[in-house]
Amino acid sequence: MAIDDGRSFEHPLYHYWENSPGGGIGLTTLDRLLMHSARHSLWFFPMATSCCAIEFMTAAASRVDLDQAGTIIRPTPRHCDVMVVAGTITVKMAPRVKKLWDQMPEPKWAIAMGSCAICGDFYRDIYSVVPGVDVIIPVDVYIPGCPPNADQVMVALQRLQEKIKLQLEGKFVERDLRPGTMIYPKIGTHGDARQSAEVAQAQLDGARGLGVGGKEHRVPRPAAVQAPPEADATSDSGEQS
Amino acid sequence: MNLRQRDRINPHLDLDTVDAAADLMALNMGPQHPSTHGVLRIKLFLDGEVIIKAVPYPGYLHRGVEKLCERLTCVQLTPIFDKHDYVAPMTNEQALNIALERMLGVEVPRRARYMRTILAELQRLASHLLWLGTFTLDIGGTIGGGASLMMYTFREREPILDVFEMLTGARFHYNTHQVGGNRHDIPDGWAAAVKTCMDQLAARMPEYEEQCVTNSVFLMRTKGIGVIETPLALELGLTGPNLRASGVDLDLRRDAPFHAYDEIKVNVAVSNGCDTHARFEVRIAEMYESIRIVRELIDNVPEGPICSLKPVRTVNQIKLPEGKQMYTAIETPRGELGTWLIGGGAEKGACPYRLKIRPPSLHAMAALPYALVGHTVSDVVAVLGSLDPIMGEVDR
Ligand code: SF4
Repeated sequence: MAIDDGRSFEHPLYHYWENSPGGGIGLTTLDRLLMHSARHSLWFFPMATSCCAIEFMTAAASRVDLDQAGTIIRPTPRHCDVMVVAGTITVKMAPRVKKLWDQMPEPKWAIAMGSCAICGDFYRDIYSVVPGVDVIIPVDVYIPGCPPNADQVMVALQRLQEKIKLQLEGKFVERDLRPGTMIYPKIGTHGDARQSAEVAQAQLDGARGLGVGGKEHRVPRPAAVQAPPEADATSDSGEQS
Repeated sequence: MNLRQRDRINPHLDLDTVDAAADLMALNMGPQHPSTHGVLRIKLFLDGEVIIKAVPYPGYLHRGVEKLCERLTCVQLTPIFDKHDYVAPMTNEQALNIALERMLGVEVPRRARYMRTILAELQRLASHLLWLGTFTLDIGGTIGGGASLMMYTFREREPILDVFEMLTGARFHYNTHQVGGNRHDIPDGWAAAVKTCMDQLAARMPEYEEQCVTNSVFLMRTKGIGVIETPLALELGLTGPNLRASGVDLDLRRDAPFHAYDEIKVNVAVSNGCDTHARFEVRIAEMYESIRIVRELIDNVPEGPICSLKPVRTVNQIKLPEGKQMYTAIETPRGELGTWLIGGGAEKGACPYRLKIRPPSLHAMAALPYALVGHTVSDVVAVLGSLDPIMGEVDR
């Protein structure tokens, strides 16, 4: 039983346990325990880049105090369950975000905090900004605002806990969508007529095409999946030295 | 080899000349590092644990703001300016609006100038409180006791943000200034709220200061670390607390008064220490001074209008003269925030033709290659924290 969709708690060992005599009862109890602990000890990884990060720090500090919900903010991806993207993600930063997301162990969730992380805010048509972090990582909960108030982080955490509970109970959870006002009719132009579709596409390719980050995108790919040369030129932004 | 005994550190050091056979280790710090105050990458070349060369790479938060400014009208610019220095949005708005006012020759009513002064000083307090919290967090670490002071300073920062929220309706990005004055008048009970908040802070500040200066670990980690000598500081264009900690008595609040600073006395804190501890001392002294200024002004806000132009109705209502250019600078919590403005852009002159921002943080970052050399890796966060750069302002 392989972990395929990244949303599954099933471990290969479960299979053997389930088939052993009396294993089912133990497994149910264990599942309940896991369900409880997964919801109430979500560790946050702060992908904190700009202004929203300050508000996220405020949420972690005295007044809102995220710790009361069992969260701990750890600056390393390997310890964390939830990535909070707080702030503008630029094309230069996007590969790093992707890489850090890939380094987080399963199961993992993502929260997009602030309109920059949701859609790029008023920077979305600038050449260097990724129009929403959900073009590179899957986002579970959106917190709209510029910046959202600190207590909204707590609200988002509760929403995430609810989702996790439903997921673990095996119920169907509908995907959260970008908040209504921020959906653009056509992502290619990001709602700005002054920007050509090519620039917009290059912006998206720059964010997406760099793969897992770092310098990997410079390594020649196998011929079968090699991108056409002009697409290479557009995706070659971001990294230096 | 003691690199600090030369008269000047070479930031462009050719590593082959140091020791061609040495096993220098290249260590990338950031861009995702909790202590780099945003997204900054510093490439460190290490001999053991001693830094031989440090190269900062900014640009991970480049949002193309100056380009954006060229196609937004002057009225639309204020909320964009909030987001540069996101720890002190109030002073950023003021920098833009003062630039526009001086260019258009608009007078600001006395009441608005007093309000702006109070807001600027409150913002300086909020910004320095956040700096104090994160700086001690960097030095002490979460487990090492640094987090306790951070919790206290964030608690003190909240009443100040509440006061801003009372006035403007926003905790963070206020958009409360406009050309010719302010947008929101002082509500009932605001002065009392400000006074309560200042009394609380004034009573607790000595405690926080004492937590740092009586801590021998704090002193060991700050004294003599990250020295920026006076000539170097002047050459690099450091401003604000960083420059004053290098022994230069320069403060635009006193030397080129804006707002209502010409009507009050500003005591400028200067230290000759040039090191991380001196920068700490200067900022702490500035906080006491800000509390004093706010308390002095809050009872004396004159009556009258708060804006000399009509309130904002349309985005095109302010037009800049074609071809006129001007540089204006004000003192923000981080230093001299300059705005170079050329009028006569798009939308029949309602947009600036060019708007160049001179951020104090960028110049503070330029000091890193000099200040870090010869220290150990653990001192990087201390020096960086003491320079207090905000990456939103560096990369823009
Ligand atoms: S949404 Fe607003 S507050 Fe948040 S990072 Fe973007 S500009 Fe800053």
